[in-house]
Amino acid sequence: MGILNDDIIEKGLEVFRDPTDSKLITHLNSCVHCGLCAESCIYYLVTKDERLTPARKVDIVSSIYRRYYTFTGKIFPALVNARNLDEDTAKEMVDLLYGACTMCGRCTSHCSIGVDISYLVRTGRTMLANMGMVPATLQSTVNAALESGNNMSIPADEFVDTLKWMEEELIDEVGNPEAVIPIDEPGKRILYTLNPREPKFYPLSIAAMAKIFFAAGESWTLSTKMYDVTNYAFFSGDTDEARIIGDRLWKEMEALKSQTLVLAECGHGSRAFRWEAPNYLKEHFPWEVITSVECIANYIRDGRIRLDPDRIKDIVTLHDPCNLVRNGGILHEQRYVINQFVPRFVEMTPCGTDNHCCGGGGGQLAMSEYNDRRMKIAEIKADQIRKTGAKIVVTPCHNCVDQLTQINVHFKLGVQIKTLAEIVADALILDHN
Amino acid sequence: MQYYHYLTLVSLAVCLATSFYHLFRLVRLGNPKDYAPAAGRTGPAIRYSFTGAMNPMKKESAFLHLPTYVSGILYHLGTFLAIFLFFIILLNIRIEGITAGIFAAFFLITGGCGAGILIKRFVHHELRSLSSPDDYISNLLVTFFQLITAVSLLVPAALPLYFILTSLLLLYFPVGKLKHAIYFFAARYHLGLFYGWRGVWPPKPM
Repeated sequence: MGILNDDIIEKGLEVFRDPTDSKLITHLNSCVHCGLCAESCIYYLVTKDERLTPARKVDIVSSIYRRYYTFTGKIFPALVNARNLDEDTAKEMVDLLYGACTMCGRCTSHCSIGVDISYLVRTGRTMLANMGMVPATLQSTVNAALESGNNMSIPADEFVDTLKWMEEELIDEVGNPEAVIPIDEPGKRILYTLNPREPKFYPLSIAAMAKIFFAAGESWTLSTKMYDVTNYAFFSGDTDEARIIGDRLWKEMEALKSQTLVLAECGHGSRAFRWEAPNYLKEHFPWEVITSVECIANYIRDGRIRLDPDRIKDIVTLHDPCNLVRNGGILHEQRYVINQFVPRFVEMTPCGTDNHCCGGGGGQLAMSEYNDRRMKIAEIKADQIRKTGAKIVVTPCHNCVDQLTQINVHFKLGVQIKTLAEIVADALILDHN
Repeated sequence: MQYYHYLTLVSLAVCLATSFYHLFRLVRLGNPKDYAPAAGRTGPAIRYSFTGAMNPMKKESAFLHLPTYVSGILYHLGTFLAIFLFFIILLNIRIEGITAGIFAAFFLITGGCGAGILIKRFVHHELRSLSSPDDYISNLLVTFFQLITAVSLLVPAALPLYFILTSLLLLYFPVGKLKHAIYFFAARYHLGLFYGWRGVWPPKPM
């Protein structure tokens, strides 16, 4: 962290200057400090640390706004706890807004007033990003994406090798040489994306989705130039960098002339491209954009794939990724898919748009300095899983897979963690042998 | 008209002018433009934001804190009634007899709720650490407003004090968090816009 001078502070305050619509000032002015949001937050629920309540996160951002942009804050700052943006405040902001929040938005839906708390947390992150105060670990993930085209800096040849390997595995499995993984082929109906964790750590999930595409007889391709669905600048709060990353995927879609962009199973990636990128770029999509969850659901509805209801014998539960479900509206499709072939499906409590965050969102997995806190607050999710009695936890988000995998080990749950594509691929009935 | 009437009218003018400034600014700034294709309809979502989404059984801020929630509801009902009666009193319309007694009794309950909320804020360490002087002053002024309304309904001699305390409240309104009377509606509206655009609200049964 550098020394805050006036120029840097001005950059931090830029977010408040010249609002383009009423959303920001609405939420900055709405909190009544009732404190009733506390029990909706996994950080508070586990730690009981009053500093980590959603209201405190709102207040640190709005107190700065009050100090510089309201009459009362300028003239009588102590009256409304209006704070100067200084080193101490910025340090506290970093810990609270990056290290103690996943921006899951559960608090927002339970707020007695309706303050969009996660939006204000992201506003605070943008302030910090403008001041160059993004945690180094998170910023390095963003930099990797900016410099290499993917957040894991996977070289293109290594990526292609992994795809070829998965293609061989898939052809062997299905016994059909047409079960290929097309690379950089223009004019295909679908351009599919990946979370870089897939080629790096979970290549079988690539094969799973490729198997589904094969079973559906789909026209699809991957891009070696830009396949990364993630946008960690959405987490860091740097809107300019988020725009660059979003623009690359946009341009690749244009270059390969596909009709539909299918976003891989990634909560924040789906949100950052589908809901945020058009606003970063101030453009409407000229093509269709759907998540892989919707894609799989459509295949089932259209009869393009069939699933064996006797294949999955264990109890299965579902973890709803916050950015896909609560903040992205994809609630029914994954349930429709699972209910087609899983006879023993048990929902978590709560679930759906009210689900508890796994604790891995908001860039937490990239920020190793907060690992202890991240695993501590994951106790809530571990408890939810235990109570279902499930042996398989399905989640359509690779970040969640990562966090749930660590939760599984840390809390000794003894479950399997699978993406939706993986469990669907396991149950596919193939007619192409 | 006495000096306290003029004081109240000036205070009311200040309160209304600043309120209209905040409201006008919100309307002028308008809605965020969303370039992403909508997955739902915002009209029903905004309606839901003010209705179904406010169902206390759906909000942890309510059902996990029922005594506080009920106190808050009563406190706000008392505030609305006190505001209504303010204009009645300002127009010198007398409320007497059993009606005055019923209103006074109601304000004793709602004012008591306000006092309870204030005490909770002071006693609970978590709330205390979140609070600013504005939180206490706002509560005190609104609670006194309700209680003095009760007193002045029963004891007309208390009217000068009623108008002075009410003037203080009106002048303080634009200063701190009491402005949530305006921003609450904008917050619910924006929440409806956000969730409605994404097809999250109104919720469809699972």
